[in-house]
Amino acid sequence: MARLIPSAYQPPLPRERLIRAEPPAEDRIDLDVVFVGGGPAGLAGAIELARLVKKDNEQGGGLGEVGIGVFEKAAALGEHSLSGAVVNPRAFRELFPELKDSDFPFRRAVEREAVYLLTSGRAIHLPTPPTMRNHGHYVASLCEIVRWLGTRAEELGVNIFPGFPVDSLLVDGDRVAGVRTAPSGLDRDGNPMANFSPPTDVAARATVLAEGTRGALSQAWLEWQRVPSPNPQIFALGVKEIWETKRALDRVIHTLGWPLPTDAFGGSFMYPLEPNVVALGLVVGLDYGSASLDVHELLQRMKLHPLFRPYLEGGEMVEWGAKTIPEGGYYALPERRYGNGVVLTGDAAGFVDVPSLKGIHYAMQSGMYAARAIFSALKAGDTSAAQLAAYDRAVNGSFISEDLYRTRNMRLAFHDGFYVGGIKAGLMTLTGGAFPGKRINVPKDADVAKTTDHAATFVPDNKLTFSKVDGVFKSGNATRDTIPSHLVVGKDVPTEVAAMYARMCPAAVYELADGKLRVNAPNCVDCKATDVLGPRWTPREAGSGPKYQRM
Amino acid sequence: MKIAVCIKRVPDTETRIKIGGDGKAIDEAGVKFVLNPYDEYAVEEALKLKEKAGSGEVAAIALGSDAAQETIRTALAMGADRGVLLKSATPSLDPLVTARALAAELEGGGFDLILFGKLAIDDYNQAVGTMVAELLGLPSVSAVSHLELADGKGTAEREVEGGVEVVEFTLPAVLTADKGLNEPRYPALKGIMAAKKKPLEVKPVAADPGGVAVLELSLPPARKEGRIVGEGPGAVPALIDALRNEAKVL
Ligand SMILES: Cc1cc2nc3c(=O)[nH]c(=O)nc-3n(C[C@H](O)[C@H](O)[C@H](O)COP(=O)(O)OP(=O)(O)OC[C@H]3O[C@@H](n4cnc5c(N)ncnc54)[C@H](O)[C@@H]3O)c2cc1C
Repeated sequence: MARLIPSAYQPPLPRERLIRAEPPAEDRIDLDVVFVGGGPAGLAGAIELARLVKKDNEQGGGLGEVGIGVFEKAAALGEHSLSGAVVNPRAFRELFPELKDSDFPFRRAVEREAVYLLTSGRAIHLPTPPTMRNHGHYVASLCEIVRWLGTRAEELGVNIFPGFPVDSLLVDGDRVAGVRTAPSGLDRDGNPMANFSPPTDVAARATVLAEGTRGALSQAWLEWQRVPSPNPQIFALGVKEIWETKRALDRVIHTLGWPLPTDAFGGSFMYPLEPNVVALGLVVGLDYGSASLDVHELLQRMKLHPLFRPYLEGGEMVEWGAKTIPEGGYYALPERRYGNGVVLTGDAAGFVDVPSLKGIHYAMQSGMYAARAIFSALKAGDTSAAQLAAYDRAVNGSFISEDLYRTRNMRLAFHDGFYVGGIKAGLMTLTGGAFPGKRINVPKDADVAKTTDHAATFVPDNKLTFSKVDGVFKSGNATRDTIPSHLVVGKDVPTEVAAMYARMCPAAVYELADGKLRVNAPNCVDCKATDVLGPRWTPREAGSGPKYQRM
Repeated sequence: MKIAVCIKRVPDTETRIKIGGDGKAIDEAGVKFVLNPYDEYAVEEALKLKEKAGSGEVAAIALGSDAAQETIRTALAMGADRGVLLKSATPSLDPLVTARALAAELEGGGFDLILFGKLAIDDYNQAVGTMVAELLGLPSVSAVSHLELADGKGTAEREVEGGVEVVEFTLPAVLTADKGLNEPRYPALKGIMAAKKKPLEVKPVAADPGGVAVLELSLPPARKEGRIVGEGPGAVPALIDALRNEAKVL
């Protein structure tokens, strides 16, 4: 069996396009603070900032009107949002002290939970590890959370701009001076059509990168400013479906083991949004060992297991989607998450705790800390790095840092496989994170060799299991099929690498046709998996991509 | 050139519609609402006419709940100058009731042209625009796919079975817009910012339910699964048999 190293075929990030040393154009829009990304991080940040400004003005602080804008690439808020999700409500409580848990956009409290180790035919009930306990948390849809936060933000006078992807950061020396939105209405060759809308420049005193997982601008900024981290950031891919079921589910379920090979890290989840509406997904670390591993297909096979099948049989798959998760944890956090005129929040900074599969409350909380640091900076009339460093100090002294530190090596231990990892993780839990006493080194996902083996063919039955193309249809993706490709693909991709892309991409963007790579860019649902191991993702025309409703 | 565009807030065509608990209305939870696509053509045409004339005003008028303010803002973001919400607590089902409310607002407004979409994609009535024309005693052309105006007169084209009908009319007039009339613009960032500051007047109206009541709503029956009868010329007899005896269309 041959081996291949994905990074050998990966093109570099197109940095000159993502970071432009140009001042915002003359016909620009002037705002004070720009949030790139309308997810939990960006929206919680915008809400907190609008509140602080309002309070300051009410108390005669004299800050005056502060223009706040949230730029979101999805055509409507929530349409590119995908999570599990079981939510820890603590950031909601801090952001909305006047509201009760029952006012938040949650579906139901977690009352019962179960963890299973799966074999191909059995489910072994395990005691719930402390890191995976969800008592006091709520099952929710991130799409619904984001729409709700958007309404709160608008009530406070925040400008929400859905359908305006940010294409690049505009910089002046080392200062981020604003952003440029993506144009729309270009034909396949990049020529303007009748309904062409040119890019718009936006000047801002501070820019908050809240792009979520594998943010293109955040990566480019970190690279450009040479901000290191002890370990590289690593990622997992999650593929998720929503089912309307005949049989009711009364608990949240997590599984480990089958259908994953032992050299892959991951697990599945099944959560009830309503008794008969179930969210089901499988998450797999991209440092897996076999080039033929296919997360979408593994999820399809998994649904036939006796643990899942009885719930799904006779039901209907109503939505499908995919997204990556930053899994590097504490040691993959950039050494600084601030710079001159800019801060990084949420998944874009890597604030995810993998053992508990939680990121939403960290994203919101980091957005709120960013808002507080920016508010002080605006008051001081100085949004330079020295002022915005307060953001890092706030994060470092908070539960975000504490939680991630406690589980700092847990995900990393699994780099050596499921069983070794499981034992090490057990010891880490017992010692409160102290074992093994030092940082475990891990390579970049794209530097992990994959063996090029052959995959068994899988034929969907169109009742319980579906093809990738059916999945893309159920994601609501209706991208115009004549837009210029937004994917930067390496030159002369060998057959075995093309085959790996085709297996890895859950949305059938990559296909192997006559031994060559074929790219169906409009299928892309912005999960960013291939950006980690292969072709690079760049922002594209507004309204492209999925239209998630209850993900 | 003073133009009124009457617009409606409707569920997005891509939304999965569910029927609410009472069986008489759709469940609005999670449903995305948009500016009725045919009304977008009407707004775009109004903006183009104003731009061509070099001056004038475009007013966007909607009858509906408070939520319809968002729909009006969309028209303002595209470029309309002001908005009017005829606020009614109950949704109007009877086209004549809607037409009367709109006509009362339009009457005496001094509009040279009143534009509608040819139909609203939620109820498909195709009635309100023409009824308003009748109530105001103005000439009307429905489903316009091409429009020229000059010297107080207009020429509109309508696509009819197998051809194009050309209608001449005098202004003021009421027209309803069909697909193909133009390519509606996306609101630009500047337009969206500006829309927040444009006037939007809210006028409560008491629209009685009229002569229409909903007895029951139901989803269309699920389509039966397709079947491949065979491939190539050899399958023709089987296909004819299926068409004749199963589908009963031959
Ligand atoms: C399968 C899966 C299951 C998960 N389960 C859970 C769970 O149960 N509980 C939990 O707490 N967390 C969970 N997470 C993690 C959680 O969803 C994330 O940590 C959280 O969503 C991060 O929030 P964010 O605001 O940083 O990013 P996101 O939620 O990703 O939001 C970023 C937004 O920015 C937009 N954007 C990106 N680039 C641009 C651009 N250039 N211009 C404009 N807009 C842009 C995106 O469209 C998106 O709307 C899960 C994640 C996945 C993938």
